[in-house]
Amino acid sequence: MSTGVITHIQRFSVHDGPGIRTTVFLKGCQMHCPWCHNPETYRRDPEIQVFPQRCIGCRACAAACAQGAHEFTAAGHAYHRNRCVVCGQCVDQCYAQALVRVGETRSAESVVAEVLADRPFYQPEGGVTISGGEPLLQAEFTRDILEQCRQEEIHTAIETNLAWPWPVVEPLVPLVDLFLVDVKIMDDAAHRAWTGLSNRQTLENLRRLDALDKMLVIRTPVVVGVNARPEEIDAIADFLATLDNVAQYELLPYHPLGTGKYDALGLDGPRPEFRTPTAAELDALAEQAKRPNFVVKVAGMVSTST
Amino acid sequence: MPPSVQNRTDYASRLEHLRRRKEAQTQEKLRRQGYMNEDDYGMVLPPEDFTWQPKPNHPNGSFYGLQGWADNFCNLTECHPVYVDPMDALAGRYMVLLNRMRKCNWPPEFDYPELKSDQDRYGIISGIGNDAHFAPDYEIGLELGWGGLLAKVRQYRAQHGPDKAEFYDAEERVILAVQGWIRRTVEAVEAEAACQADPVLEANLREMAEVNRWLIEGPPRTLREACQWIAWFNMASRTYNRDGAGGQLDELLRPYYQRDRSEGRIDDEDAIFLLACLLLNDPHYYQLGGPAADGHDQTSHLSFLILEAAHRLKSTCNLTIRVHDGLDPRLLRKGVEYLLEDRKAWPRFSGDKALVEGFMRNGYSAELARRRIAVGCNWMALPGLEYTMNDTVKINVAKVLMAAFDEMMHDDNDNPSLDSLWQRFEKHLRQAVLCTARGIDVQLDHQHLNEPELVLNLLTHGPIERGLNVTNGGVDLYNMCVDGAALANVADSLAAIQSRIEEQKRITWQELAECLQADYPGVEGERVRLMMRTAPHYGEGDSLGDRWALRVSELFTWLVTEKPTPGGRRMIPGWFSWADTLRLGKQLGATPDGRRAGQPIAHGANPRPGFRADSAATAMVKAIAAIQPGYGNTAPVQLELDPCIAQCDEAVGIVSRLITTHFELGGTLFNINIVDAQQVLAAHKDPSQYPDLVVRVTGFTAYFANLSPDFRQLVVDRLVRGC
Ligand code: SF4
Ligand code: SF4
Repeated sequence: MSTGVITHIQRFSVHDGPGIRTTVFLKGCQMHCPWCHNPETYRRDPEIQVFPQRCIGCRACAAACAQGAHEFTAAGHAYHRNRCVVCGQCVDQCYAQALVRVGETRSAESVVAEVLADRPFYQPEGGVTISGGEPLLQAEFTRDILEQCRQEEIHTAIETNLAWPWPVVEPLVPLVDLFLVDVKIMDDAAHRAWTGLSNRQTLENLRRLDALDKMLVIRTPVVVGVNARPEEIDAIADFLATLDNVAQYELLPYHPLGTGKYDALGLDGPRPEFRTPTAAELDALAEQAKRPNFVVKVAGMVSTST
Repeated sequence: MPPSVQNRTDYASRLEHLRRRKEAQTQEKLRRQGYMNEDDYGMVLPPEDFTWQPKPNHPNGSFYGLQGWADNFCNLTECHPVYVDPMDALAGRYMVLLNRMRKCNWPPEFDYPELKSDQDRYGIISGIGNDAHFAPDYEIGLELGWGGLLAKVRQYRAQHGPDKAEFYDAEERVILAVQGWIRRTVEAVEAEAACQADPVLEANLREMAEVNRWLIEGPPRTLREACQWIAWFNMASRTYNRDGAGGQLDELLRPYYQRDRSEGRIDDEDAIFLLACLLLNDPHYYQLGGPAADGHDQTSHLSFLILEAAHRLKSTCNLTIRVHDGLDPRLLRKGVEYLLEDRKAWPRFSGDKALVEGFMRNGYSAELARRRIAVGCNWMALPGLEYTMNDTVKINVAKVLMAAFDEMMHDDNDNPSLDSLWQRFEKHLRQAVLCTARGIDVQLDHQHLNEPELVLNLLTHGPIERGLNVTNGGVDLYNMCVDGAALANVADSLAAIQSRIEEQKRITWQELAECLQADYPGVEGERVRLMMRTAPHYGEGDSLGDRWALRVSELFTWLVTEKPTPGGRRMIPGWFSWADTLRLGKQLGATPDGRRAGQPIAHGANPRPGFRADSAATAMVKAIAAIQPGYGNTAPVQLELDPCIAQCDEAVGIVSRLITTHFELGGTLFNINIVDAQQVLAAHKDPSQYPDLVVRVTGFTAYFANLSPDFRQLVVDRLVRGC
């Protein structure tokens, strides 16, 4: 049985597929979208998050760390990420949870056991969603979880960017009831510039999944300055209109939720500033996205704009 | 066109007027009486120059007994201000809670000094001297009317000898007093009608006068009369002793509604308006749907109209939908829709399966168990058949644990251990239950001499027939409630001790004891506190804390049910803290779960706030389903959901699933607030900006602005995760 690295498991998840679900967040992603509100899922390896506002100044971390990564000076508590080997000793002593280790190695079995805890709530349409990060970065682990959930007759969904060669995606086809796929930008050059990867593979894989009659929910994170333009959304919707199995197309407005997390992870390089689209902007985009073969939703709600 | 149809176009604006008037009345209560950490009972304040005071009949300045209560109730109702609103379908509001005007609610002759030290030691709320908290059977009154009730009292007086004369005199005087109150109201309604310019409202007042004139003697014949009769009973009963039990409202009113409809007297819009006025008159705990005694579902068209009435009223409300296998799924769906849409924390939901199976465990039949319905804050009762002291008797189980802990730490002949602590906990909990049981006996032996239930007796099967107060042999069934409080604190304390002291050896017993003694002092104390706080706890799901919660609940259940009170009364366990989380917390020192001295105890059967990083409602629902005592009383879920839940288009299905699964797993009662944490935080800062924000504090709903700051903090803490 395989193991993998997860950031956390969210029970009673109601926005990642139908019904009541348990969402498993895997750590690591091959894209690096700068608007991501889960930056702790960028890197595959476990890392230490630091929340100085919770610190009570007990200095137990310094005593626990063999690498001297925690230092207390007149200026306060300094954590030297470059010295840290992420052994977790300090985290174990930091009851204030000012130090949090993000990234836990788990067996697929133990993840499924936790998924099964909410089994009584899943009927009729709920189940498990494997999310991330990018689950296919840990393809075997993902497959093992999905296979076991399949055996337990639990509805399965996966949230993926599908930017993988088809042989990586193909084994999942019989194991997944619903694919939740991000299509961020249609223009490939822009896609590369913002995410670091081409979108060709994603679009190609969507066509293949569609040909196999897999149910698809497509989502676009709407970020002003990146893709919040009618022509951009129009182009995505045009593409989606060529597919037969898109159940819905969701526009997810960018929210600056993750900014505290960037600091906690020491990701303090220059970050572009994004703006949340206004309700009017979203309505206009939703209008632009409408096609006869799928429902358009904005932040989970069916668009009612006319 | 009949007048009622002409009114139709006006109903929305009339309701709007009534709602605004209630909001103004609520704000006036805040201004004149200060914070109100309890139900919104539908009371309005009397004019500022109303200065009535009760007449004492005891040297201590209080009043007691048949005579004292009858005298004061009659005296009060004779001068009680009458209340008429031409927009309303129903006349009257009550303005005084007589039982709150007593200087002392227990006669010194019946003092119980022998119980006091254990009551203090274990944080026992004994319920002695507490009144009501059982359910009347409105059907008795609806069938007889005030005149019929009077005739019944006189008939039984004639059958009994002179030794019962005082009892029947008192009952008779109470009925006459209510009739007098109605009569004076009729006069006021007529006077108002005479000078009412608006023809629709004048017609309304004329009909109101007619309805009430009839009800002085006669039993109700129409839906309007039935609603008005219930309102009068509620006003009398509230005035007397704040009683707040309702009934199976859809079934109680169905015959009247059906008759009115078949005879063409009203349409559904008329009915909805009438029902809204009834719910406005008093936000009583009414049950809708659920099985009749024979098991068939009682949901009717009227059940939906009552929900619709509450929906249009948009005020505080305490409707409960009884969820059972045969329930019309549309009723559950409609209820959840309104819960999500209106965000006024109603309806609540009760779980038939566990309630019926649990009550049957006491040796009762399924038929009887099905009739035991949700008519109080956390509680179930058999309308008109049993005396319960529901929600008035509580043991602060965390205080019991700390008594055991202190005893162990001061015993020089014992090495502290979890085993020793558990054994001592069991011993002290048994002693606490015994003390509680003896308190219940004190109440049942003397309450009829302290505060006879002169109003509720009238709608109870037995007291009038036997000439005995309900507390004193008036009924056959005595199922006395004993609720535990602070379950999560106890479970989390035991789990923290097991994990941090016994398994991980991160701290010694002595060090913990010193920290508790000094309330986790300094930085090191805070570190220990957080260490205990972050140990496995109740609600996480199959954790050490969950296992301890189960063990604690099983022990509590066993001790409460193992034998009756010394006086032979059955006790039924539940987990509930009502609004006492603050009071019970203030009397409790620091606890091993990382709770500081004086902080509130955990809420009812809930895990502590922040029990899981994902705050998963499913985890909470499972945890609470697992610890149910299982004898027909409740351990409710109190769940706060963010309004973003309503954003998924399957929200109704998701919330319904949460509810039904809780009941499939053994749950008994489900309260849900749909609240925006940001809004509550803003309202906490400046309540005056949010006068219509309604939250379900515990079993009851309240206007957030009228809660005291520490109570508002409680609600805030439940929403915002913390460590
Ligand atoms: S252990 Fe945690 S709380 Fe203590 S000084 Fe270190 S970071 Fe702060
Ligand atoms: S994780 Fe290990 S190496 Fe890194 S700071 Fe903590 S104790 Fe030191």
